Amino acid sequence: MSNKSRHKGADISGITDLPLELESQKKAKKEKINSVSKGQLQLYDKKTNNIRKLLDLLSMKINRQLASSMVGCVHCGMCAESCHYFLIRPDDPTMTPVYKADQIRRIFKRHIDWTGRIVPWWVKARTPLDDEDLNRLKNIVFGTCSACRRCTFNCPMGIDTALLVRFARGLLTDLGIVPEGVFNVSRDQWETGNQMAVTEEDYLETLDWMKEELQEELDNSDIDIPMEKKDCDFMYTINPREIKFDPRSISHAAKIFHFAGEKWTMPKWGWDQTNFGLYSGDDKLGAYVARNAYEAAVRLRAKRIVISECGHGYRSTRWEGYNWAEYDQNIPAESVVVTLVSYIKEGRIKVDPSKNAEPVTFHDSCNIARSGDLLEEPRWVLNSVCTDFREMHPNRRENFCCTGGGGLLSMAEYRPLRLEVAKVKADQLKATGAKLVCTICHNCVDGLTDVIKHYKLDMKVVQVLELVSNALVI
Amino acid sequence: MSDFLRILENEVQIFALSFLVCVYFLRIIWLFKFKSSKEKSFPAGNAKAGIAYSMLNVAMPWSMESTRKKPGFYVQFALFHIGVAAAIGATFIIPYWPSVFKIKAILWLFRIIVAAAFIVGLFRLYRRLANPAMKLISSLDDYFSIVLLILYFAVAYMAMPNDYEKSEWPLILFFALTAFFLIYVPFSKIGHYLYYPFTRFFLGRTMGHRGVFARKKNKRTTDRF
Repeated sequence: MSNKSRHKGADISGITDLPLELESQKKAKKEKINSVSKGQLQLYDKKTNNIRKLLDLLSMKINRQLASSMVGCVHCGMCAESCHYFLIRPDDPTMTPVYKADQIRRIFKRHIDWTGRIVPWWVKARTPLDDEDLNRLKNIVFGTCSACRRCTFNCPMGIDTALLVRFARGLLTDLGIVPEGVFNVSRDQWETGNQMAVTEEDYLETLDWMKEELQEELDNSDIDIPMEKKDCDFMYTINPREIKFDPRSISHAAKIFHFAGEKWTMPKWGWDQTNFGLYSGDDKLGAYVARNAYEAAVRLRAKRIVISECGHGYRSTRWEGYNWAEYDQNIPAESVVVTLVSYIKEGRIKVDPSKNAEPVTFHDSCNIARSGDLLEEPRWVLNSVCTDFREMHPNRRENFCCTGGGGLLSMAEYRPLRLEVAKVKADQLKATGAKLVCTICHNCVDGLTDVIKHYKLDMKVVQVLELVSNALVI
Repeated sequence: MSDFLRILENEVQIFALSFLVCVYFLRIIWLFKFKSSKEKSFPAGNAKAGIAYSMLNVAMPWSMESTRKKPGFYVQFALFHIGVAAAIGATFIIPYWPSVFKIKAILWLFRIIVAAAFIVGLFRLYRRLANPAMKLISSLDDYFSIVLLILYFAVAYMAMPNDYEKSEWPLILFFALTAFFLIYVPFSKIGHYLYYPFTRFFLGRTMGHRGVFARKKNKRTTDRF
């Protein structure tokens, strides 16, 4: 039976036909890379009984929170209109969050739940038949959901669909059934400790370069980007994207920290706050990366960890990482936005909002607004450093994803659908009439830049550090 | 009243109810067998306040966009569930407190509620059949449950006057359906109210811990402020 006829009426516009085997996995196998040899990174093996393995993993990994979300759904469909995929494709019933979650739920029902085990046809419980079914599951949970948690917040039952999607992703990751981009980024993070495979040499050189530029710009040789200093007020962690593509964000931070008279440092190892384990559902990777940062802070005897502007980095480092690593938090961790609030409130830096006169709006990152706690802080800073701040609607907990969340930016195969459903975001941005859209997430910077380019909007993406740095009164 | 109806209203109901309680008890044990998770990060909010907020979410239609934008849907939801409560209430009132339904105002209040719930049920069935998204996700259990409830509301409406001298059939049907419900519900989606405290507890605990739930507008909740 072909995959399409098995899922009559539910073939998702070409997405479910994407390939199962990956070139990068073949290469990794051939090169016998460390993470594969150590069993950290899984490769797809068609000779393995992947269905059996999936079922074993499902029984082993499921917890009470997930189980209650598996059994509690009443199929009321209230989640549908909270999802940007469904809003743009209202005639495609496979775009509802409940349909996506049902793909893993039906396996749970068939093998773990009571009724589904006895009369599976009564509750649509089902076992995947072969690896092609698992491939289809992969393409649904990775390709049609940005795990933004908007549906979770709109479910009357409190079903955490985003958590179920992450759980399904994690099971597939353990079988090596993942999109190419997810495999590549996970490999880099396992192999190098950061998701963009930045070498220590590149890292240190970039920071030196930024320091020199800053010293030149301000004609002040005291300005520093301290490395491995002990007993500082905080250890600053960043997104590798800042080293690779946007080093100015580090110099903005260094400039502000300097004028605030801060005693800070960056670590040589454990500086990557991003965590692809959040996206791939791989708790082992999540634990490894998070632990690197926590242990770096302990090693440097830092009083706290300050996390640069990054949505999933903040969520992973501030919240999830401790659970994945089973690590009792011992040092406070905060977003750099909170640090900025304290500087302005305490008068440690002076800012002049007239230096940012263009109309600016704010995009709430899903990982911060719906899975974290920062809603008002970035707004407070923006109101302090800009003259024309205007809200986007809906906002805060109800904001729409930049549409590049959930790791989708690294999954090129799903890009056409991602940009199609990004119309929701484009309309939101357009309606503000702002020239700048500010976000406290590097992933959202790329997601929004894609949206702006694709929908030809007259806007630019900025971050809070840049605007504060612009507004500094020196 | 015939012996058959008397036994149906009493012994059969007690047996069916005991069965339901036992299965629920086993179901809760089953849920507790899954490992639990703990938050290991410093809190930014209050987990207990988050749980309370999450549990009460059902009574705060303004708190969710899905109910705020569709007040009609929320009214339907409320009517439907109040209808269920009224019908269940009737299963106790009829055999144990029949004088209550002698008061016409109360009788008609109950009848109007279940009649409204019946109409909502029909609408819900139509929505499930006509909306392609709903159709795709619906299982036989989903259809059977809604049909069963529609039928139940209709029978409850007829049985509520408790006029067994005129005809026992509405009462026999009502109590037979109730007994069937009590046995079937734990294995069907209708038992979702058993899971509501769990799903809401976990979501509330996580979001409360992080300061996301129970947040007052414009209130700052961070580590340091």
